[in-house]
Amino acid sequence: MNRKERRVVVFAAAAALVLGVAPCADAMHIMEGALPASSCIVWGVICLPFLAAGFFSIKKTLNHNRSSITLLAMAGAFVFVISSLKIPSVTGSCSHMTGTGLGAILFGPAAVSILGAIVLLFQAILLAHGGLTTIGANIFSMAIAGPFVSYGIFVLCNKMKVNRKVSVFLAATLGDLFTYCITAFQLAFAHHADTTLGHALGEFLVIFAPTQLPLSIVEGILTVLIIAALESYAKPELRAIGYLKEGQ
Amino acid sequence: MIPIDKLCYHSKLRYESPGVKLAFSLITLAACVANRSAVLSLVILVIMGMLTVVRGGIPFSRYLKLMTVPLVFLLMSTLAIAFDFGFWYITCSAASVYYAVNLVITALAAVSCLYFLSLTTPMTDILAVLSAMHMPRTIIELMLLIYRFIFLLLEIAEAVQVSQYSRLGNRDYKTSIKSFSALCSILMIRAVTRSRVLYQAMEARCYDGTFRFLNEAKRASKKNKVLLTLYGLAFLIFTLWRFYYG
Repeated sequence: MNRKERRVVVFAAAAALVLGVAPCADAMHIMEGALPASSCIVWGVICLPFLAAGFFSIKKTLNHNRSSITLLAMAGAFVFVISSLKIPSVTGSCSHMTGTGLGAILFGPAAVSILGAIVLLFQAILLAHGGLTTIGANIFSMAIAGPFVSYGIFVLCNKMKVNRKVSVFLAATLGDLFTYCITAFQLAFAHHADTTLGHALGEFLVIFAPTQLPLSIVEGILTVLIIAALESYAKPELRAIGYLKEGQ
Repeated sequence: MIPIDKLCYHSKLRYESPGVKLAFSLITLAACVANRSAVLSLVILVIMGMLTVVRGGIPFSRYLKLMTVPLVFLLMSTLAIAFDFGFWYITCSAASVYYAVNLVITALAAVSCLYFLSLTTPMTDILAVLSAMHMPRTIIELMLLIYRFIFLLLEIAEAVQVSQYSRLGNRDYKTSIKSFSALCSILMIRAVTRSRVLYQAMEARCYDGTFRFLNEAKRASKKNKVLLTLYGLAFLIFTLWRFYYG
């Protein structure tokens, strides 16, 4: 083992200790009060253009077809519910999907930015996952950055004619990993008083790695299985949400 | 199904004006996060806890249990902040430990503000306040529908999960992954079908693009508005004073 490997093992052991005591691992959402006021405002402002774009895209969809309001709302509720279900995990600690990768693949990233923002607000108030002051940071990492990367990878893979399953897996897993990197960056940016930004970022990345790396792989596998099941049983529904084109 | 949602309907503060509760918790939250002082945070933690438990009548054991929800996140990020991991050693400086302890207390106080809001005010009341603040109507409608559909889908998900478990759907890891993905896909299919049926039901009841809800919530009294303004101003002055002279 070299120095870096040793470090990873030490961190994994520490995290395992923590997780053994604690009932639930939910490290993706930055909790209430964990960011200073300046970062809360900055991340909130960064989100605004994306949310405005999402709002106009939703408004356009609704003007075009009023009946899609129930469908959009169901999509939001679907993302909330799958991210509140406990996914099977090997260690026994419970963890959740982010669900936004799946949402982006099914409904497109613009709609997911608004739906994700609403879902994050509900998660903060109803489940205490995340918080009201940190909602800007959480929206950026989970409802904007993750879904856009997922969707980009998915479209790119489709253009390059990669196998559908592989492209869904890559989209969901890499989207999740990107969310986790952004979250770590947000935390490091806010709390690097006595070290450099890079050092703090490394520490946060490594601390959260033991839970987040397996989680994103599991999320990728689950998303592949869900999409495969939907493609075989739910062609009309997939056409209704625009995932499949007419006649496909 | 969602414990916080259930508890907030039992709160004794439920029928107080939602605008006052929202403004009070947001002002306190902002003060707590902007100041990041351990003493102020401790005071806020105690006061908000007392308000929720004693005045609101939320069982103390439930409150404590809810307080552990964000604990993992807190422990892990504290670990990263307080300690410095080297090759053969783990070190921490007094300053970084102080910083981490301060963060933990501030975060817990902030969470207590959030809980004050979510354990006394039902979601529909919060949405009524947001629409009174001229949030775009489309967003409010979307939020109301999402809130309603969450319970619909959770009900389906719970029923499916019970039947999966009763057929040994969680026998080993591979089966449980399979069952979980089956659950999500059936949830998606049901959601799309339900959404179509619901829209037809709404149209049959003369849906013309707006929802009209009976707003039962009390309006804020003048006295409360004045008190809240003073409260906000006091915190603002305190924060500015600390920022420039503290």
